[in-house]
Amino acid sequence: MPLRTGSRSSTGFGRSLPGLGLLLLTVFVLLECSVLSVGASSSSDTRPHKKDNNSVGVGNHNITVHHIKKAFPVLSFQYDYIKIPFEISLWVLLASLMKLGFHLIPRLSNIVPESCLLIVVGLLVGGLIRLAGEDVPPVLDSKLFFLCLLPPIILDAGYFLPIRPFMENLGTILIFAVVGTLWNAFFIGGVLYGVCQIKAAGLDHIGLLPCLLFGSVISAVDPVAVLAVFEEIHINELLHILVFGESLLNDAVTVVLYHLFEEFSMVGTVTVLDGLLAVISFLVVALGGIFVGAMYGFLAAFTSRFTSHTRVIEPLFVFVYSYMAYLSAELFHLSGIMALIACGAVTRPYVEANISHKSHTTIKYFLKMWSSVSETLIFIFLGVATVDGNHSWNWTFVTATVILCLVARVIGVIALTSVINKFRIVKLTTKDQFIIAYGGLRGAIAFSLGFLLDKDHFAMREIFLTAIITVIFFTVFVQGMTIKPLVELLAVKKKQEAKRSINEEIHTQFLDHLLTGIEDICGHYGHHHWKDKLNRFNKKYVKKCLIAGERSKEPQLIAFYHKMEMKQAIELVASGGGAKLPSAVPSTVSMQNIQPKKTPAPKPLDRALPQLPKGREEEIRKILRSNLQRTRQRLRSYNRHTLVADPYEDGFSDLLLKKQKMIELEKKIKEMTNHLTVPAAPPDSPTMRRARLASDPQAYNMKPTDGVPAIKVDLASPQSPDSVNMFDEFKRADQQIPGEDQGLIMRPPAGSSGPNAHHKEDEPRDQQKLMRCLSDPGPSADEEEGEPFLP
Amino acid sequence: MGSRGSSMNNVPNAEELMQETGFSAAHLLRLHERFEFLDRDNRGHLSPEDFEAVREVAMNPIGGRIICSFFPPGQETLDFPSFVRILAHFRPTEKHRARDGAQSEPANSRTGKLKFAFQLYDLDRDGKISRAELLQVLRAMMGIQVTEEQLQSIAERAIQEADLDKDDAISFDEFRKSLEKVNIEHKMSIRFLE
Repeated sequence: MPLRTGSRSSTGFGRSLPGLGLLLLTVFVLLECSVLSVGASSSSDTRPHKKDNNSVGVGNHNITVHHIKKAFPVLSFQYDYIKIPFEISLWVLLASLMKLGFHLIPRLSNIVPESCLLIVVGLLVGGLIRLAGEDVPPVLDSKLFFLCLLPPIILDAGYFLPIRPFMENLGTILIFAVVGTLWNAFFIGGVLYGVCQIKAAGLDHIGLLPCLLFGSVISAVDPVAVLAVFEEIHINELLHILVFGESLLNDAVTVVLYHLFEEFSMVGTVTVLDGLLAVISFLVVALGGIFVGAMYGFLAAFTSRFTSHTRVIEPLFVFVYSYMAYLSAELFHLSGIMALIACGAVTRPYVEANISHKSHTTIKYFLKMWSSVSETLIFIFLGVATVDGNHSWNWTFVTATVILCLVARVIGVIALTSVINKFRIVKLTTKDQFIIAYGGLRGAIAFSLGFLLDKDHFAMREIFLTAIITVIFFTVFVQGMTIKPLVELLAVKKKQEAKRSINEEIHTQFLDHLLTGIEDICGHYGHHHWKDKLNRFNKKYVKKCLIAGERSKEPQLIAFYHKMEMKQAIELVASGGGAKLPSAVPSTVSMQNIQPKKTPAPKPLDRALPQLPKGREEEIRKILRSNLQRTRQRLRSYNRHTLVADPYEDGFSDLLLKKQKMIELEKKIKEMTNHLTVPAAPPDSPTMRRARLASDPQAYNMKPTDGVPAIKVDLASPQSPDSVNMFDEFKRADQQIPGEDQGLIMRPPAGSSGPNAHHKEDEPRDQQKLMRCLSDPGPSADEEEGEPFLP
Repeated sequence: MGSRGSSMNNVPNAEELMQETGFSAAHLLRLHERFEFLDRDNRGHLSPEDFEAVREVAMNPIGGRIICSFFPPGQETLDFPSFVRILAHFRPTEKHRARDGAQSEPANSRTGKLKFAFQLYDLDRDGKISRAELLQVLRAMMGIQVTEEQLQSIAERAIQEADLDKDDAISFDEFRKSLEKVNIEHKMSIRFLE
């Protein structure tokens, strides 16, 4: 996962100093680790002595208590008590420091992918521990790997899976995952068996079934490795989702093949019936895993519907339900990975509609953090486990394996692509095929599966493990390091760093409807037809059930729009530190200060962000500043039990919308009354009060001299003439009084009806405003509003 | 499909159509069968009511527009060649267009597809999507759940983002530019018509 490296890499020499410091720190940590393990062994040595003492002393009272009177220990050393958590923390700390360190040395991280560096670190640490004379802890224990290290990575992948490209390419992905993996497994297993038959190699004792078992273990593309490498090369979305999707979905195949061959290796034969059962088992494993995951996903979504009063633990539900899905699937030997993916993908749309913004951020960052640490740890442990294990190096076997892996993958990809391209609209080019073949990396899953093999039943376990590690090293180092330059060389399309614009969203939805319509006209029940049906079903039944309150009816476009606006507002505040903000001045002055700054037409700055007129920026900034002020004040007394639901937050996006509307309308009216200066209204007309209340309920109670500038009247006064108009409109829209809402009805296309409508609506208001401005501004604000507002 | 079997003989101007639109004979046959199925009264041409009889099209938020797009302005009947020509927009794009001498932009190229989509927005055919037209589309897609203000905001923002020459409307080039990252060749193709 890419880190932000910005600040540190300033000057050349200054750059290396922090890096050096970090390396020193790491070395210190390593030394401490080894010292402690030595200390642990010495303290564990003393324990058996004590035991002897006690056992001897049972029958003999005099010698029972061997308490030698020594001085009261001021400082004692009690390593056993904390041994396991301490060592775990040390490993995690090491992993994180390593990750930090790599990014401080920028040149290194450009050439060598992180995964390689981490394996090297693991090798070093393992070597250090070995040198210290200690037993290397069996860190890549399969249980630890499958239950603790793997789930965060998969959940992160599943939760943030880009559903649309995934579904669009699902057929291709499935074919690669299922047929491709099967082909790889049988090809590698079969040919290896042939190789083993060669007398000279000394491998006769490896039967066919163990070979096939090995083939199935080594053939699966590993999601962790793929993620680690592909993250850094920023390849285009299609290829990324193809390889990555394949690595996720082939888990079901691997599970079935592994269990099949493991069971029958001991028996010795596989019959046709077994083969059939295996096929059925595959379907059960895959579909069962997805079913379990989806069920837990719906449960999580349903639970999140009720969490509006306990926002603090919202993220926990997502994590725990997903983990339970994984464990439940593993319980029945179903595919845990597919369960996790299904759970994450199903949960996400509903949970995100229900939870608060902060919970959403929490989930995102916790997942990224855990998966990042997990990935780092996995690679380090791979290095350590390499140093550790008893290796049985057999040149023939290992080289045959490596070559066969490559060959099988290439043949498989080419053959399958030629079949797939007949059914695809956008064909896969040769370049694409090459990247897919080259991106078939093996990783820690293969190693763990090999590690799981029972030593008694499989005498060749050591040979297998050695070969697996060699293949992993080869793919990660050679393929991992060279894929980036190859991508550059072949000029493969890169990922487009684009923020999705609202236009794209609108047009994409429009095109969806269009294509569905065309398909219906043609009588063809294609892709769009079923997607449309699913969407309708979703909207009609599922959303109502799983999403709380009003948001269940919110169309996707609106949700997208809100998200965009919020993101943009936050970005503006984060980046707009230098711009002048009007400080706490009385309203008249601020009014006149602000007005000349506002330009009716936004200047064409950079097109990355759609430009906003300056006034709007400032208004948004004010809103956010006031929001942040309030947060800061609240945090003075932080107690997690009294962390109230932010009364502000749920309505925040609506609020933002309203504010922007205010500003928009104001801008338009300003355009029309360009040469008119509008003297400010006094601050406390009922409209202003209401405006302030609406924006900031607490602020109302604060005195104006409180030194909280953003909450002052500034907010309301610039729009004093307009807030009236706006609220009028609002109220009307809310009450759905069709008659009055003349302003912006849809008319049948009559070309320029749009701008006309504006004029018509604003003209009477303009007149009134003009009159009002020229006359007494204050109290007449009331006359504008016909009906009483909300209290 | 209809119980009337049709062969290529029934299809008028089959050769010409195949040449013009790039459909294969099999596809043309299938489309002709579908045409005859839709044409319930067996008049030899289609009217808007025939389209509306397809239930899913009636349910489609922009169903009305789609139907209108088939019929050139002012006409109320649609014959088979026109039907096929419109549907030709949705053929998958070929990489190489070896046909020279044909029109410069075949209907199923990226530009052709985008032009067709643009026409669905720009109902008055003035070459621009005005704010009101955009609002209509948004209203149609989102139904009654959305307030006027929200639609306004979205339309405002959309125009702000896309409108490069500041005429408060989206021209075809601006439309095309705003969709440059979307894979139109994939999105606007039906596999059936290959």
